[in-house]
Amino acid sequence: MTLTAGVTRFTGKNSLVLAIASLFSIAGFVWPFFYQGTDLPQTQFFFWLAVVVAFVLAIVEISSTRIDAKSLALLGVLAALISALRPLGAGAVGIEPMWFILILSARVFGASFGFILGMVSMFASAILTGGVGPWLGYQIFAAAWIGMAAGLLPKKVRGKSELAMLIVYGAIAAQIFGVLMDLQYWPWALGSDTQLSYVPSGAISENLKRFITFHCATAMAWDLPRAIFTITLIAFTGSAVLAALRRSYTRAAFLTPVVFSERVK
Amino acid sequence: MCLGLVMIKFSNVSLIYPNSTTTVLENLNLEIAEGEMVLVIGSTGSGKSSLLRLINGLVPHHTGGILAGDVSVDGISTQLVKPGGMAHLIGIVGQNPANGFVADTVEEELAFGMEALNLPNDVMRKRVEEVLDLLSLTPLRNRVIATLSGGEQQRVAIGTALVAHPKVLVLDEPTSALDPIAAEDVLSILHRLVHDLSLTVVIAEHKLERVIGFADRIVQINGNGVANIGTPEEIMLNSPIAPPIVHLARALGLEEIGLSVRELRRMTTDIREASFEPLIASTPQQEVEIIITKALSVSYGQKIALKSVNARIYNNEIVAVMGRNGAGKSSLLKSIAGISDATSGSVVVSGIDPQTLKGKQRRTTLGFIPQEPSDLLYGQSVQIECDQADRDNQVSPGTTMQILTSLVPGITAHTHPRDLSEGQRLGLALSIVLASNPSVLILDEPTRGLDYNAKAELIRILIDFARATNKCVVLATHDVELVAELATRVIFIADGEIVADGPTLDVLLSSPAFAPQVSKVMSPQPWLRISDVITALETAR
Repeated sequence: MTLTAGVTRFTGKNSLVLAIASLFSIAGFVWPFFYQGTDLPQTQFFFWLAVVVAFVLAIVEISSTRIDAKSLALLGVLAALISALRPLGAGAVGIEPMWFILILSARVFGASFGFILGMVSMFASAILTGGVGPWLGYQIFAAAWIGMAAGLLPKKVRGKSELAMLIVYGAIAAQIFGVLMDLQYWPWALGSDTQLSYVPSGAISENLKRFITFHCATAMAWDLPRAIFTITLIAFTGSAVLAALRRSYTRAAFLTPVVFSERVK
Repeated sequence: MCLGLVMIKFSNVSLIYPNSTTTVLENLNLEIAEGEMVLVIGSTGSGKSSLLRLINGLVPHHTGGILAGDVSVDGISTQLVKPGGMAHLIGIVGQNPANGFVADTVEEELAFGMEALNLPNDVMRKRVEEVLDLLSLTPLRNRVIATLSGGEQQRVAIGTALVAHPKVLVLDEPTSALDPIAAEDVLSILHRLVHDLSLTVVIAEHKLERVIGFADRIVQINGNGVANIGTPEEIMLNSPIAPPIVHLARALGLEEIGLSVRELRRMTTDIREASFEPLIASTPQQEVEIIITKALSVSYGQKIALKSVNARIYNNEIVAVMGRNGAGKSSLLKSIAGISDATSGSVVVSGIDPQTLKGKQRRTTLGFIPQEPSDLLYGQSVQIECDQADRDNQVSPGTTMQILTSLVPGITAHTHPRDLSEGQRLGLALSIVLASNPSVLILDEPTRGLDYNAKAELIRILIDFARATNKCVVLATHDVELVAELATRVIFIADGEIVADGPTLDVLLSSPAFAPQVSKVMSPQPWLRISDVITALETAR
């Protein structure tokens, strides 16, 4: 029996390549803790490039998967929506209305879809807002992971507990995004002579301590508002948006049997 | 019947959608020849769209379901080839062209489809020029699509389907969202494509007045899965779905039916020649002024929508506001509903400025149904909408649902409002508004996408409504047939000014362009409706 196409899903090979790409970019985030050398600027440049290469690798891999017309349409519409929402909060501290749509969409359409949606929408919105720079690769991977993890949350939870779960996840995701962005920014953010500065070739524990202090100092301004904003949006619009997305899932008739027969009855 | 090469072939086709037990189509056998124009008719939900989508395999490849038998186009079976593989062969145009556009300007939009088909650049350039000429779109080539009128947009949509050089063009109610002039435009272009390029056209429509003259054959779907196929004359002999002239021919007991005003005029010369007592029009008692606009002007920025409009609407009236697109119909309606701000002048509804109305008082004073009824519907299901309306209006639970069932029977309570058909959605919005029992009912283009049955039901409800004490109905519409059946008075607006205001009979008969079919046939006799003709004949007997 044949079925209509389902929501796009990564194959084993896709997952493997994307995992490798993700590992590259994770390295791009955490290298400062393990760095023991003398040529800091070159290393930084190397990891920026590594993240870009990882991004290109991921895009190539995703383009090679067969994305069905309906998934593609959904992806396009949702990515456009998210990209349009992002500049709405431009400049304001942590007011980023994009995250709740990403999280709710990924919840309904699954981890693979969430990964691609995070990537595409972050990339598209960066072009829209002109926010293209070395940080973009980091942002794209962070958004992709947040989307993917939202899609991996337990499927069976429904109703009030589902909303509660998504609120908690929204808060965590907003924090994680903040931590990751701080992490890629911190090594060259403060110069080399402050209490919170990155110490090249320093001990991991020392650098971790400094980073956590740095993060806490900046988090107040960005991450807390982001988290509060995201969970407020999920709390107030969550059930309506989920219902709308689930309805489009049903309407799109994913994985519905297609039967060609001699006679109907 | 042999008309040459068979282009589309349905052999023993039956269709069942997933999670459903009823067959949409049953044992349909149909051969459409190259260069034929086939019209698909049937009431809402009968399976017209399913039939159209079977042609390129969207059903069942995208929707799921069981398809028995075989559909093939130009010898290619949809069982074996997915819709994407049919893209070069079949062009599809939907009801609302704006939903299908991807690019900003006309030229880019035309090129987009070919881009997807990976055609070489020089071929693309040539074909864009070709289609621009064919559909007379050249003056619009660099225009932004969003700024085009409905008819122009629909022409661009047909153009985007044609650039791939398809052999078949499938159109699902292409004129239902258009005003009469734009609709005429689109249909004459289709006629030309069929005759000049021998394109095969399959078209589904509700409103048959205009399109029936162009069709070579009609497929009538009865709703129980069975379909009748034949020439327009054959099908119209018995079809319950028919344009007014066919109903007129039947009511007069003519042996033959005519499909055009000319034909029917020839058949009815003797009826017209006789002299008749003038019909006594039952004008309602006009005592109470319900709506008064004084020197009402509305402008949006530079654009003046209404210029110093003075209108009075009395109790028990049904007033039709007519005029071209952009003439100011909607602006007048919105001002009366208190939605748009008057630049100068005033509006009074039941003694109150409608802009000051709030909450329950607003609901009991006026009910407004916008062009897109789903703008009023936010609930997740029909049931939720109805319950909400019951609570808001403090009526006993189930009242709204009851009104809805009498209006449009057969709606399942858990359906999402956006999954309803155009007519069902209007019915739902109307029942919610009627549940609050307002004294004024305002409707903007209520018959868009309604089939004849739904329209008849709407007419009955509005007439009933207007009969109650101190109530009136104001509606904006292009649909002359509706106005003829329903309205007691017509206000004709052009360029923001009232150019005619008078009893329906006088206004409609004064201009041939706005005369309904019955009066075109029966002119110079002053009859608008079939019932007028019958009454006049019976009185004379």
